[in-house]
Amino acid sequence: MLNSCKNMKILGIETTGKYGSASVIDETGRVFSADSSEEMNHLRGMITLIDEALREAGISKDELTHIAASVGPGSFTGIRIGVTTARTISQMLGIPCIAVSTLEAMAKGALDRAISAGALYVVPVINARRHQTYAGVYEAVFTTDPEKQSAVPVMEEKQYMIEDLLEELRTRMDEYKGSVVYFTGDGIDAYGDIIQGAMAEESYVFADEAVRYQNAESVAKIALAKAAAGKTITYNELMPEYMRLAEAEQRLKAGTLSERIRKPVKI
Amino acid sequence: MKDGRFLTLGIETSCDETAASVVADGRFVMSNVISSQIDIHTAYGGVVPEIASRKHLERINDVIGKAMADAGVSASDIDLIGVTYGPGLVGALLIGVAAAKAMAYACDIPLVGVNHMHGHIAANYLEHNDLEPPFMALIVSGGHTEIVNVPEYNKCEKLGGTRDDAAGEAFDKVARVIGLGYPGGPKIDRAAKEGDAESIAFKRVYLEHGSLDFSFSGLKTQALNYLNQERQAGREINVNNVAASFQEAVVEVIADKAVMAAEKYRQKRIVMAGGVASNSRLRALIEEKAGARDIDVLKPSPVLCTDNGAMIASAAFYAYRAGAEPDLELDAVPGLEF
Repeated sequence: MLNSCKNMKILGIETTGKYGSASVIDETGRVFSADSSEEMNHLRGMITLIDEALREAGISKDELTHIAASVGPGSFTGIRIGVTTARTISQMLGIPCIAVSTLEAMAKGALDRAISAGALYVVPVINARRHQTYAGVYEAVFTTDPEKQSAVPVMEEKQYMIEDLLEELRTRMDEYKGSVVYFTGDGIDAYGDIIQGAMAEESYVFADEAVRYQNAESVAKIALAKAAAGKTITYNELMPEYMRLAEAEQRLKAGTLSERIRKPVKI
Repeated sequence: MKDGRFLTLGIETSCDETAASVVADGRFVMSNVISSQIDIHTAYGGVVPEIASRKHLERINDVIGKAMADAGVSASDIDLIGVTYGPGLVGALLIGVAAAKAMAYACDIPLVGVNHMHGHIAANYLEHNDLEPPFMALIVSGGHTEIVNVPEYNKCEKLGGTRDDAAGEAFDKVARVIGLGYPGGPKIDRAAKEGDAESIAFKRVYLEHGSLDFSFSGLKTQALNYLNQERQAGREINVNNVAASFQEAVVEVIADKAVMAAEKYRQKRIVMAGGVASNSRLRALIEEKAGARDIDVLKPSPVLCTDNGAMIASAAFYAYRAGAEPDLELDAVPGLEF
């Protein structure tokens, strides 16, 4: 499949979590990455990371053929920095964009480790505060050919209350006694205790902290497959996936925006 | 460069306007694209930061593209990019900064960060092509009421500012209460033209003797108390009279202090800037008071008073000429001082 796509050089960027990163992947699947060790340094550090990844790959920015961004869910601010950077580079270099779901990238990035741990499901969980999460559930499909292993979505990527997500997982696991759920993402940091309390012992594994968070390498790998399949878009079509309306918008729709604000006072 | 002229692209996203502009030689506006979100935020009675950030992201690239197209130039003609990096809403600022950095990197163009307030002052260089520092600047907008001495390009010495509400904020609050709605500034300006500015005796707050600071919260409270008291007495409220009297109390103090500052620093020119600088009564009154003391008043046309990319381009041009270092690690600084 990949042989049909000559000379691809795709830049992938990831800014939706705590640590930013940029990766360049070529048509052979080789990946060159630069990762930030500073928390929430996306705006300041992103161009430097991109430049480092390009240097690692030994190519100039004019050789890029596509630019991919992790579009969310995650930190709204982080998403916006990554998407704006990708849109603008795409616009200026005249190359197409690729949108990558953050949760899908996390699931696929964790797949090998999940399979090694004997997991049936890979569950990326992003902390959305107050018991909320952004999460998805993927089935880890094992084959003897590692190239053909895949993470197949079995539950919609969306906002879940952590308790609801775990309830759903428990029901599913009842049918497959003895198998394991592999959790990854900063949801572990926030809700580890709740997960521990809700899941049967030895029915789950937490990703090690070193590999728990979003990274551009996974984004670049998905982008390569999407580019090969022709799933590219223009910069104007590259949109954030917030998974949540702005709070004021929620209230306006629910009719609970303060009357005082909505209507001028009549005197 | 195009036709021997140095081209600066200015980008501005500090509040609710997504704007970009190409300016030649720091002085000549070749294009000025402003995409306002005001219709969206009106439903909420004011700017909602999260929504502003989302809209900036959706619009910034086309705004930049249109600014270059309107000017008849392409990215390779641009010599410098300037972007507002503060003060403003952090989520809004970072869209402009991220886009500016990505463009600067992709096209190998130097980038300098611009203080939004310096931009407002620089709007006057675009309007008055022979204006050069030194002069006294008066900046009045939704978030600012400041008197600033400008001894040279991009050098600003703040002499006084508001201790509580900015003038524009006070306008917005009173406008809301008398049913004029948001944005309050232009609506009060319009209503005031039909009213009697001497009908209600609102106080003029000058603070200590010689102070160049402002305070509008007491005046705002006085206006609210007046409305309550009239309502309780069952008297009908004349909205135009309230608007005119309130506005007069605000702009008279501003005009007096600006003239006082110019005299104190022996400046022969007062340069106005910011959204509220397009208030017609403030313009008239300051001209009258300054004129009596032989001080000239300069003001940009209303389109350059609102947030725009051209003023950012001009300020960037002079900062770069003065040796500002290009910076691809630029960060947004929401509370940036003068």
